[in-house]
Amino acid sequence: MSALQGAVESGAPVSRLHERQSFDPAEFGVPTGREEEWRFTPLRRLRGLHGDETLKPGKIALSVDAPPGVAVELAQHGDPRLGTAFIPGDRVSAQAFASFDEATLITVDEWLERIAPTWVTVRGENADGASFGHLVVDVKPNARAVVVLEYTGSATYADNVELVVGDGASLSVVSLQDWAADAVHLSYHHAKLGKDATLIHTAVTLGGGLVRLAPSVRYAGPGGNAELRGLYFADAGQHLEHRLFVDHAERNCRSRVSYKGALQGEDAHAVWIGDVVIRATATGTDTYEYNRNLVLTDGTRVDSVPNLEILTGEVVGAGHASASGRLEDHHLFYLMARGIPFEEARRLVIKGFFGQLIAQIEVPEVRERVTDAIEAELAAPAGESAG
Amino acid sequence: MSQPASTVPSNYLRACALADVPDEGAIGVEVQGTPVAIIRVGGEIFALHDVCSHEEVPLSEGDVYDHTVECWLHGSCFDLRTGKPTGPPATKPVPTYPVKTEGDDVYVSLPDQER
Repeated sequence: MSALQGAVESGAPVSRLHERQSFDPAEFGVPTGREEEWRFTPLRRLRGLHGDETLKPGKIALSVDAPPGVAVELAQHGDPRLGTAFIPGDRVSAQAFASFDEATLITVDEWLERIAPTWVTVRGENADGASFGHLVVDVKPNARAVVVLEYTGSATYADNVELVVGDGASLSVVSLQDWAADAVHLSYHHAKLGKDATLIHTAVTLGGGLVRLAPSVRYAGPGGNAELRGLYFADAGQHLEHRLFVDHAERNCRSRVSYKGALQGEDAHAVWIGDVVIRATATGTDTYEYNRNLVLTDGTRVDSVPNLEILTGEVVGAGHASASGRLEDHHLFYLMARGIPFEEARRLVIKGFFGQLIAQIEVPEVRERVTDAIEAELAAPAGESAG
Repeated sequence: MSQPASTVPSNYLRACALADVPDEGAIGVEVQGTPVAIIRVGGEIFALHDVCSHEEVPLSEGDVYDHTVECWLHGSCFDLRTGKPTGPPATKPVPTYPVKTEGDDVYVSLPDQER
């Protein structure tokens, strides 16, 4: 009760999970797995990314293919343009910021629009050593940009991605985690939205042994709009974790979180955490988040936890939902009663489950690739990794 | 890691010293990257995978009684002889490993595919 009273009086949230922030990794203890933010992550599979020992350096190749008007630069530690959208909220994020070799800075000029997507390709050479990365996408006021982040290959990798969306600007990001089966990837996407800015963030996680992606959104002015979408397919042995955080501290902002996943095979594990805080100052907030999981075989595990903390009564809407279940028998029956064989009916229902999210991806090449990848997953015998 | 003694088959790997294992209790060790709980009950040694099948918790930190290890976090119980869950919330067994002792050392045999 006293904590609650204190929160109401100070306007600070009762949940302290996202309040601790520092650029110094030592400020955060080495996780033991008992912490709320680490309790679903198998730490022994992180290859020391979360620890305090010096790791053998790995090899990551990052390349950017940008249209005219989009500037691509390398930046060193200490560059004032780095670290503006966030302060690390956990040890791995702080470690990645302290340890990257050089950062990549993508700047989209003011008022620039109708430009081709910018492709950022991150390719890991091997999973033996550990690599750290930093990427900034800075969309200046009133510009509109589309950025595709594509992660492939083998790696042990932790990175921070800053998404700075200027006043009145619009940024659509598709982050495609299509790693090889031995990859470990811990990634933090920090978005800062200016006044009346729009962010559409789509996470597509298909490959990788362990992927833990944490997109977060903060608003620097009123009228911001964030759409966070996600799609994942976990096969045998894969751990795919998505941890969303939307921090409503400004008035009249909107957020939507829509994540869907499917799981098949022994020890396929999906984790979805959806945290939303509406602070006392964030009147007129409109937020809704949901997670849906389709469990296709025995032996899988889903942890899905939406959390919503509301510190003002003056909201337009605030809600969340989560459901995890098997394919519905009557959906299959409906199709099979019309002469469609079981396997085909199963594929149709699963494609329908993901269909809307795939259709919303703005980049046709990514759309096709995701559609093909889902097809391949469904064609593979249950439990065998298709990618 | 010392070489296995002559009477211990070569697929057995040294896990720890016998003296390290409590008289009635458990110790957690890593054998070639695999977490293993070495548990002694009534003078007999058992080895189990040292991760609860419910959540990521070392079983070696749990209580040992009646040929059972109880996970300290949520209370899942496992039979030391079979690895089968004997109390919820765990529903899946944990792998058990063959054990040999020789002299002052404890050896375990891990399956090839163990992560």
